[in-house]
Amino acid sequence: MSEDFNDNKTIQAQSSETISGEGVRGVAPDKDYVRPAEVADQDLYHGHSFITKWIFCQDAKVIGVQYFLLATFTGIIGLILSWLMRLQLGFPGAAGFMTAEHYYQFVTMHGMIMVVYFLTALFLGGFGNYLIPLMVGARDMVFPYVNMVSFWMFFVAVGVLLASFFVPGGPTGSGWTLYPPQAILEGTPGSGMGIILMCVSLILFVAGFTMGGLNYLITVLQARTRGMTLMRMPLTVWGIFTATVLAMLAFPALLVSALMMTLDKVLATSFFMPTILKAGEVLEYGGGTPILFQHLFWFFGHPEVYIVALPAFGIVSDLISVHSRKNIFGYRMMVWAIVIIGALSFFVWAHHMYVSGMHPWFGFFFATTTLIIAVPTAMKVYNWILTLWKGNIRLNTVMLWCLGFIVTFVNGGITGIFLGNVTVDVPLSDTYFVVAHFHMVMGIAPLMVIMGAVYHWFPLVAGRMLSEKLGKLHFWITFLGAYSIYFPMHYLGFIGVPRRYFEMYNSPYITSAVGVNEFISMAAFLVGAAQFILIYNIIVSLRMGKPAGKNPWQANSLEWLTPTVPPEHGNWGDKLPVIHRWPYDYSVPGAKDDFIPQTTPPSEVAGTEVEKT
Amino acid sequence: MHVGFIFLAVIVGSVLFHIFTPWYWTDIASNWGSMDDTITLTFWVGGGVFVAVCLFMVYCIFKFSYKEGRKAEYKPEDKKLERILTWATTLGVAALLAPGLIVWNQYINVPKNAIDIDVMAWQWGWQYRLPGEDGKLGSTKVENINDNNPFGIILEDINGKDDVLIQSDVLHLKNNRPVKILLRSVDVLHNWYVPQFRAKMDAVPGTITYYWFEPNKVGEYEVLCAEYCGVGHYGMRGRVFVKSEQDYEKWYQEQETFSDLVAKQEEIEFSGTKLVKNNLND
Amino acid sequence: MSEPKIEGYKFKPGYSGMAADTASDQTMFKGVHWGKAMMWIFLLSDTFIFSCFLISYMKGRGSTPEEWPNPSEVFALNAFGVPVPLLLIAIMTFVLITSSGTMALAVKYGYERNRKMCGWLILATALGGLTFVGMQAFEWSKLIHEGVRPWENPFGAPQFGSFFFMITGFHGTHVSIGVIFLFIYAYKTFAGHYDEGKRGWFTSMKGDYVEIEILGLYWHFVDLVWVFIFAFFYLW
Repeated sequence: MSEDFNDNKTIQAQSSETISGEGVRGVAPDKDYVRPAEVADQDLYHGHSFITKWIFCQDAKVIGVQYFLLATFTGIIGLILSWLMRLQLGFPGAAGFMTAEHYYQFVTMHGMIMVVYFLTALFLGGFGNYLIPLMVGARDMVFPYVNMVSFWMFFVAVGVLLASFFVPGGPTGSGWTLYPPQAILEGTPGSGMGIILMCVSLILFVAGFTMGGLNYLITVLQARTRGMTLMRMPLTVWGIFTATVLAMLAFPALLVSALMMTLDKVLATSFFMPTILKAGEVLEYGGGTPILFQHLFWFFGHPEVYIVALPAFGIVSDLISVHSRKNIFGYRMMVWAIVIIGALSFFVWAHHMYVSGMHPWFGFFFATTTLIIAVPTAMKVYNWILTLWKGNIRLNTVMLWCLGFIVTFVNGGITGIFLGNVTVDVPLSDTYFVVAHFHMVMGIAPLMVIMGAVYHWFPLVAGRMLSEKLGKLHFWITFLGAYSIYFPMHYLGFIGVPRRYFEMYNSPYITSAVGVNEFISMAAFLVGAAQFILIYNIIVSLRMGKPAGKNPWQANSLEWLTPTVPPEHGNWGDKLPVIHRWPYDYSVPGAKDDFIPQTTPPSEVAGTEVEKT
Repeated sequence: MHVGFIFLAVIVGSVLFHIFTPWYWTDIASNWGSMDDTITLTFWVGGGVFVAVCLFMVYCIFKFSYKEGRKAEYKPEDKKLERILTWATTLGVAALLAPGLIVWNQYINVPKNAIDIDVMAWQWGWQYRLPGEDGKLGSTKVENINDNNPFGIILEDINGKDDVLIQSDVLHLKNNRPVKILLRSVDVLHNWYVPQFRAKMDAVPGTITYYWFEPNKVGEYEVLCAEYCGVGHYGMRGRVFVKSEQDYEKWYQEQETFSDLVAKQEEIEFSGTKLVKNNLND
Repeated sequence: MSEPKIEGYKFKPGYSGMAADTASDQTMFKGVHWGKAMMWIFLLSDTFIFSCFLISYMKGRGSTPEEWPNPSEVFALNAFGVPVPLLLIAIMTFVLITSSGTMALAVKYGYERNRKMCGWLILATALGGLTFVGMQAFEWSKLIHEGVRPWENPFGAPQFGSFFFMITGFHGTHVSIGVIFLFIYAYKTFAGHYDEGKRGWFTSMKGDYVEIEILGLYWHFVDLVWVFIFAFFYLW
């Protein structure tokens, strides 16, 4: 196997051209000095056959694309499920096969797919794998083999999840929160094989993700290139890195709760099961506590929100900066905000449980921590719009998605303050206000970032540009459509329409809102359909798009500075890059161009005044 | 340019929608006007921030969109501005949090004169139990529930004898008298929620949860289950009538107590055995 | 697998120096092997798993209405006709802790490139682990024989059986996985893979004695977790 390695071509990390920056007496210190390498160059396994190159591939970039494609595939399933749900809600009975059982199964699978198998996998598995090594100047992830296994575990997890559609009883219909006791009792659809497969799939996902997550963390911590200090990393890397830390510490709770639930179902243990009376008979369960599951679930579930949000924060910061030709405003504060939000996210979980029957005193604590988290989040928002201020904003498709993100995220963030404040939550929880809030803040907003990121990095991955015309069409339908789905939906919550209702019968709360419900459904169909514009755009542009060339956006960060576009396995050719500055030196006074790539040494841009980083 | 106008239209549209929406909260019928007030406060502060941030963004789009040759400002950070913004935000957040915590404190501390009401939930329905003359509810146990004892009252508990049992999903409440809703469930999670009363709490099997409110408007209201409880969740409704004191007392006196029920059961059993005996004698 | 070895990195003094070192380019943990850093972070994640288990156990034990069985009676073993509380568990703990010692020695001899000593000590560690798992299997069968099941328990609360089998089972799985790897590593040591840097069969990474230290970290962690399980189940 060793012939697969370029042993004779092993690349030595280049030591700096000059020996010391300390400056010998009488000689001026060298401005371009970068400390010599600490890490020997990585030896990589180069695949030869089709299978080792494209299927069981150890190249993080290929793994990233694999993650992206599989996550998108499950995401489309989630999208179709949401269509079916909206069809039922807007036009009850329009789909003849839609029973309450089906409706609840679709709700559950839609939620679980979108949160875990779509957004998490896409941001961390997809963007993380592709961008981390490129952005920190590594040749690959540090453990390429484990990384490959990580993707295939995810593949199996998705397989198990989708298999539950075909078992007797169908997939679980217990809501994505899987609350016991109903999740494993008859009366909930899919309480047999469905819930077991769901738990198994989650356990597999966690195991697979742990393998990937270790890679992302060690690559960021221990495998950066020379000159790449922590405070010179793009915010994308900061966001994905912090999100991965959260995932490594939050997924254990999910694993444990899924395992205990499986045992409750399969072995009839009573971890979460109190004495229960069903159909006049007392079941064999007894002595457990359902609230424990909720605590475990939300100890995972709340960080999970930030696992999705933090990479989005990071990516959108970079996109806004590149396309306003301006450094991100307050980089240090942005980094600290990400870290603080990440740390605080472990102390707010029970704000999902204000009306769950837990001890009411928890309300005081969790309302306070929850609102504290609003401060760093608000700072991030201010810094995004202050980056636009006095910038030179290119209003291309990428920027449009970023602007869409700001509007939807601020909207969703503000409604988050409603729900995080314990008293305000009481009338609004479990209503459509909640549905509207979390779709706006962790559905639409991160999706806007994903779309922006796709339009931004597609030229890097494929070497060709996506069509701007189709991109703008895609954006306007998605943004205006999604906004008109979720903005009016808040008001359904005010009327008091509870979530997870298959049908409203003739309650006065809903009869007054039939029109708005139909409108929301129509908008949902349109927005869903608009996503296929992107797929069409990608397919066409892969063959016929404008060739991108090197660095089409005139960006500074390292991923655009590879010797070949798209980058090859090993990323950097013979010589690893050496970093001299942060990635945000745009429009520096005194510089010829309006951007200075990270690899440009100070001596090449003499006469500029740049921030010391 | 059109980009700026469309975003502006979205912002203005949102504000107009909020002002002219026909869909807003139902008329309140309990003492929790303070909850509505906190919502209104959050709306003003939050809505203000939303509009301000978005308008600033729109202004930037108009003012700073791309011009060949123009150079953006190079200003990595502005410590003073960042500090001001941090403190202003912190202050705003504190202003929202404080009233929230105060109202929450009221929410979890039940007034002494509140009437205890046992709300028992199952898949998929409700039934209610009111205290008798002694003002106390008897304790219960899931295992005790059967046809003769639909609430699972522990027979040894003296307090349970005069409890008023309502074996239907229709509850009557006295106007202007606080009630403490004691929630329990015999199977899965439920939530007894009347939008007009604003308050809600989950019913959790294996434990008893509570909340309180004071109905202050005579009328009929619909009860909704607000915690997903399986396939019949959407059909799990009930009704509440808030009545004036006289009407309430009249209704209250007509209801059956636990001892009444036991006596009736015994009578049935007694006549049943007599019937059997007579048959045997024949 | 490349190993960052920096000799003579000058750490800067004071807290600000520490911050500067931490944030400096290339590596955060100076001179720490990638695999070692990975194992530390994995163990941190695993700590959260066991914490979740133990906290659930505390909550479950605290809220179950039935009485919790007395551990010194349930876990007692008859030695010469006298029930001795915690006898088996004391031996198990002793064996496991000892195996931690042999593991530490194996790491030492590994770095000294003493192939034989290293290999034998890894084997000794593996045997210690195997003994532990065997004794755990014995204890499980004893409890099962007495009627304890995950769903029921003649001595009191059924949650006792549920938590006991789940948590010790999860820990036992950790030990078993460790034992499998110990055997593989013993083979690789004796075969000289670490001396000549032979590439791994799966990962195709060059072999190095540092792998033994990485496995050692895992092994010590599993022992440490056992101490907590021991305290929570047998002494509480």
